[in-house]
This record gives sequence, structure tokens and C-alpha cells, in this order.
Amino acid sequence: MTATDFVTDTATSVHPRSAPERIWNVVRLHLVDRRTYIGIPWLIVGMAFVVTIFVAQIVGFTTGGLGTPDAIEGQRYSWAVLSPQWYLVIVGVQAISFGFPLALGFGVTRRDFYLGTALLFVLISAANALAFAVLTQIEQLTNGWWIDTYMFNALWLGLDGFWVDLFSFFVMQLLVFFIGASIATIYMRWRMPGMLVFWSSLALAVVGTVTIITFTNSWPDVGLWYGAQGIAGIFAWLLLPAAIAGFGGFLALRRATPKS
Amino acid sequence: MTDTAVRVTGLTKKFGAFTAIDDMSFTVERNKIYGLLGRNGAGKTTLMQLLSGQQFATSGSLEVFGASPVENARVLQSLCFIKESQKYPDSFRPEHVLASAPWFFANWDAALADRLVDDFRLPLMRPIKKLSRGQLSAIGVIVGLASRAPLTFFDEPYLGLDAVARQIFYDRLLEDYVEHPRTIILSTHLIDEVSNLLEHVLVIDEGRILMDQDAELLRGSASTVVGKKTDVDAFVAGRDIISRDGIGGLASVTVAGLSEAERAAARAAGLELSPVSLQQLIVQRTTSITQEPEIKTDAWSARA
Repeated sequence: MTATDFVTDTATSVHPRSAPERIWNVVRLHLVDRRTYIGIPWLIVGMAFVVTIFVAQIVGFTTGGLGTPDAIEGQRYSWAVLSPQWYLVIVGVQAISFGFPLALGFGVTRRDFYLGTALLFVLISAANALAFAVLTQIEQLTNGWWIDTYMFNALWLGLDGFWVDLFSFFVMQLLVFFIGASIATIYMRWRMPGMLVFWSSLALAVVGTVTIITFTNSWPDVGLWYGAQGIAGIFAWLLLPAAIAGFGGFLALRRATPKS
Repeated sequence: MTDTAVRVTGLTKKFGAFTAIDDMSFTVERNKIYGLLGRNGAGKTTLMQLLSGQQFATSGSLEVFGASPVENARVLQSLCFIKESQKYPDSFRPEHVLASAPWFFANWDAALADRLVDDFRLPLMRPIKKLSRGQLSAIGVIVGLASRAPLTFFDEPYLGLDAVARQIFYDRLLEDYVEHPRTIILSTHLIDEVSNLLEHVLVIDEGRILMDQDAELLRGSASTVVGKKTDVDAFVAGRDIISRDGIGGLASVTVAGLSEAERAAARAAGLELSPVSLQQLIVQRTTSITQEPEIKTDAWSARA
């Protein structure tokens, strides 16, 4: 009786699924309730747009008429375009905190679960980046939806053209998902002690960096460096924390256990 | 060998200083219904989590269908374990669970799932957060039965289910098991209710195997002898006494393994013999441990 006997034996009762099939099924599991990743974020965008119309009117009133360069510039400070991100970071947390125990109950390996979840994040980020970059272009072409209202041409979007918008939004979205997911993964793996260590070391790293820059009088250099990167360069750098969160989460989840 | 679904050798699981599973060894044969019985905190859920690769063993070896279940996609695809405390995504409704389950269980039977939804009157469109305890249990039962996984775990599946729903569960389980034999491990407190369902009994207490026996043999393995104290004492002397009870001059003693000749001898001595139900037997076996503190002093003080 060797191990292969068991393999063939099991195969007769369950048709084993291939790895790509299993990973894709995890993507489908996350999307079985369409509201989470698609319905609610776009509902938030819709509501933000309605609010933006009102805000645009106020900006127009105070700057002496909509459509003037001042009014268009004023609307750049609106964060409405990022309004679904606060919700989506929570979605990233819940992808692990609820998705992981359920997937294990369904007999999914930790590896397949994480790869499926990461693939889902990449796909949703790509779709959102495409949608927001296209909306930014349409908004420019229609001069603010024919009512001089600019929501998508805000912050850094709409400054360096379609491809930079596409790339930067993709990186930002990916970072939002993986930050949420990796925090939930740290909790899943190390529970409360993990949270304490993580947040306190993060705080120490931030104040430590600020201290070093201040004591070495490096702020002007930092400013110059930052300015030299450009929008695309800054977001290319942001791929680094996204990748760290993504790979770190994978390593942490491989030994995590769901709460019993 | 190919009849073995689970083989556990020297399995130990510690959570810090607490030993949840203590050097356990047993095997589970294929296509049988096992009862995993024991008191609260005995280690039933931890054991099932270890068998389904959800927890990592501290030491010992663990084989499910010939290999460790941990991160083993081939093995895990053959398992179904919806815990009693299973968490679901916040926004989920039962329909979402039943829509996604077939993607993970190759043997999923949608018709059976539909029928069980009707049987348990499960509201498919109500948010899971708003379901009653019994309705939540019903989801686990439906997934467990309809998945037809070669190794299915039911972890106290009856919690919050009313008597009618529990009977439906037992009936459906038996019907479906007869048509589609598979290995089922059922953890429960309601021993008498499932007594006729079980083919093999594993009793665990404080992380150790207390009993590992065929249910049929176990049911006939003990008898209670009732009569005058002196007669009873004379009869049971030197036997394996499971429990002892008495009022005044009367004694009632449960002893293990009486042969037909011994039974006749007892009746001849004017003693009454009565069968012991599985539940009584297990209650007596597990409480007798607690009455012998010298054996388990450490475990008890660690627990308290």
C-alpha cells in the first residue's frame, strides 16, 4: 500500500481541481456578493458626484462663475474622487478576516486562498483604474459634464494624461487593498500581540524617519527628490510598499489559523 | 490500509501551557459514521481543526487519505468542515453560501441542498447576521450534507435546532449516507439522539482518547447489576467496575463485559441486570475519571 493507492482512490470520489481552477474559485467566492467590490463602491462614487455638483456651484459662486480657470483649479482640491477608498480599505480587511475562515471551511488551502485574493485585488484595481482614467478623460472632453463640474480631474488625476492616471490609480488601489489585507493578516496570524507590535513599530519607524531627516537638515533635499519624481515616479515608488504588504501577507497567512 | 481515512499517531496540540490534544492515537475507517463524543472543552473542535488542516499540530503525525492535510489541496478538496462557530462575510446571505459552495465541493448535490433548504425553512435572502442560532446551524448542516465530501465533519451541528429539525438532520444524513457512503465524523453532546446513527464511537476527555470502540459492541459492553449490596459486591468483585451507586442496603453497579454465562450466574444469584444506554455509559466513563483525582490532578489544576 503506497501513497499512490490513496491518490487514485480519492480521485474516484472527488475529481481534483487544478490549481488555476481552485485559485479562480477563490476570486469567485469574493465576488459572489457583487455589492462588496462593485455595487457599494460605485454607489459611493455616485453619491460623491451629486455632492460634487453642489460643491461646484458653491465654488463657482465664490470665485465669480463656474468654468473660469480659478474655479477649475479650486475643484482640484476635492477628495471626492477617492471617496470609495475609505470603504475599500475595510473591504481589504474583511477579505481576510471573513474570507479566510470561510475559505478554510470550504477546504481551500491557505496558498490558494491568498493567491486568489491577490488576483482579485489586481483585477479589481485594474478595472477601477481603467474606469477612473476613462472618466477623467470624458470629464475633460465634456468640459465637466457640460455643467463645469470636475470630480475626476482632481488631486493628481488629469494632469499627466491618460496613461499616468491609469498607472497611478492602479497602484493606489492595489496599495489600499493590500494595506487592509495585510493588517487583517497580521491579526489573523498573531492576534492582539501582533497588532501591538505592528502599530508601535510603524509609529516608531515614522517618527524615527522624521527625526533623522530633521536632524540632518535634509528636508530641502527630500523636497527636491519628491519634486523630481513626478506623478508617475511617486506612484512607481508606492509599488514598493504594495509589494511588501502583498508578499509579507502571503508569508504571514501560510501559518495563520482562523479563530475557533 | 486503503480502508483508512484518518490515521493519527501521538498527536499533541498545545496552546501555550494548555495541552488541548495530548498524545492521541487512533484511526478512522472509510465509509463509516463516527461519533466524536466528549465534554465541553475536551478537545473535539481542536481535533477536527487539526484533521482539516486548520490548526497546526505541536507534535505527532496526522494522515488524512494518506497524507498530511496541512496545505494539501488534494486532501482538503475531499473534506468538508463547517464549524459550529463558522464565520461568514458580514454582508452574506444564505444564498451566497449555497451559490459558492458547489465551486469547492466536486460532489455537490444542488437538488439535495434545495430540498434541505425547504426542510429547514432557511430564509435564503435574509442577511446571515440576522439569522437565529438554529438557522445558522442549518446552513452548516446543509453544506455538510449536500457537499457529499468523502470526509465530512459535523461539529455540534444541532445547536439551536429544534427537535423536528434535528430529526430531519438525522434522517437525511442516514438516507444520503446509505446512497452515497462516505466517512462522517459527528461531534455531539446529544449522545442518545444519535446513538443509532453511530457505527463507531470515539470518546475524548481532556485531550485524550478515552474510548475507541465499535458502537454496537459498546452498547452491549456494560450492564448494570442491581440487588442487595452484599450480593452485588460478591458478584462484581474483581470485575471492571465502571460506576457504583447505592441507597441503604441496595447497590447498583455498572460493570463491563459480561458473558452469557455470567449473566445467567447473576440472575441465579437474585440480581437484576439492565442494559446501559450509550449516553449513560459515556457519562459514567467520563465522570469516573474526575472521581479519581490522583490520576489527573495536573490536568485539572491547569484547566482551573
